[in-house]
Amino acid sequence: MNKNEEKDLPLGTTGHFANMHKWLQRALFVCLVALVLEASFSLPGLLVWFGWPTLSMTEVCDELMKVRWSDDNAECLVPHPLYGANEGEGRTTGPNATAQDQWGIQPRPEYKRIGFRDLVKFRDDRLLREAEAKAQAELIYRTAGS
Amino acid sequence: MSKNEISEQDRRRKKALIVFQVLLYSYLLGLFLFQLHLYSLSDW
Amino acid sequence: MASTTFGVYDAHQDNSKQAQWRADKWMIAGTLLMGTGVLGIFGLPLFFYGLHLQIQAGKAGLSVRPLIVTLIGYLVIIDSSLNSLGWAMDLFANHSLINRVLTAGWGAVFDGGYFWHYNELTVGPYAVGGAGAPGEKGWEISLILGCFCPRLAAAIGLLQMKRWGQQWLIVTCWMGVIVWIGYNLNMTFYADVRYANITFPVWGWWIYDIFYITPFLSLPYLHTVNREIFTD
Repeated sequence: MNKNEEKDLPLGTTGHFANMHKWLQRALFVCLVALVLEASFSLPGLLVWFGWPTLSMTEVCDELMKVRWSDDNAECLVPHPLYGANEGEGRTTGPNATAQDQWGIQPRPEYKRIGFRDLVKFRDDRLLREAEAKAQAELIYRTAGS
Repeated sequence: MSKNEISEQDRRRKKALIVFQVLLYSYLLGLFLFQLHLYSLSDW
Repeated sequence: MASTTFGVYDAHQDNSKQAQWRADKWMIAGTLLMGTGVLGIFGLPLFFYGLHLQIQAGKAGLSVRPLIVTLIGYLVIIDSSLNSLGWAMDLFANHSLINRVLTAGWGAVFDGGYFWHYNELTVGPYAVGGAGAPGEKGWEISLILGCFCPRLAAAIGLLQMKRWGQQWLIVTCWMGVIVWIGYNLNMTFYADVRYANITFPVWGWWIYDIFYITPFLSLPYLHTVNREIFTD
């Protein structure tokens, strides 16, 4: 190792490790930039994936809960009442449980997979279902009344 | 000379660190591949 | 002029210290923003400007910190902050709207452990909430307390070029190795919970999380740097 080269090295790096330190530095730089970009785009990226701005943030939370327990009646309460009921209360176990799971030593969730902007689709489907059910009920009511 | 001793130690240290890196990254890769294997079995 | 060699040396030391601090102020401001996650995009330019100032000072002949030490120090701070922030939200703010969208939503896309029966966990009669995946809460609590907090302190010591900073960063980076090995194995054993019916099984988690391998990249440097550059 000639003296001039040794002099150009960063403080604390000897010639023997110069190459290794150079590559570590590059990888560290990549990690730093990637980590920061990833962290700052996570929230907006997820919101857009789920259906914002068609759905508000609260509606996204709401649809996520409906998927999690496969239950149209699950609701995202904002704010969640202090000491309020467990969000999964009655949905995971019990006679009216809605959550889909294969229970076992390693449980397997069976909820719906959420693709790009699927929460908007799920909501529209549900609204349609509810409208149809309502129309059906009215029809029965009217038929019964006449 | 003492300079030779140091570089001998450095050589061994460098070798150990390279082995350490190779082991760790191959462990990670192995686990990742194993998870992909599970993925192929169980239709997640 | 009575400018002795010592006087020149002192002036050089003072100038170096000032230049380093000027650069650090920008990098600290940037890191505070980057540590919050969402605001990271605003912190990055501040950090780069500080980095630029440090490189310029080095080129001007001032004795500033080696670039790689700066990168390791700040990267470890960011990595620890992001980890602690996410997990602290999952532990203590798990019913907030932002957490139920960000953490549980992230879970639905990358890691079912953070979506499956989210906010249902209890210990005896006591509500815990957050991720209910087997083993997850144990990792969260022990790593925030036992790994990320000491690591944060060590990184600050390293940036001050203190020997304890270098030594404690070595210790906590080895902890990081255990974390990667153990955490991944836990995930693999409960792979059904973690990966079944999420948006991007397996690939998603690995691509998202691989940039947290900071300890693997720091250890070879910390073990081969000339220790004399760190002071007691």
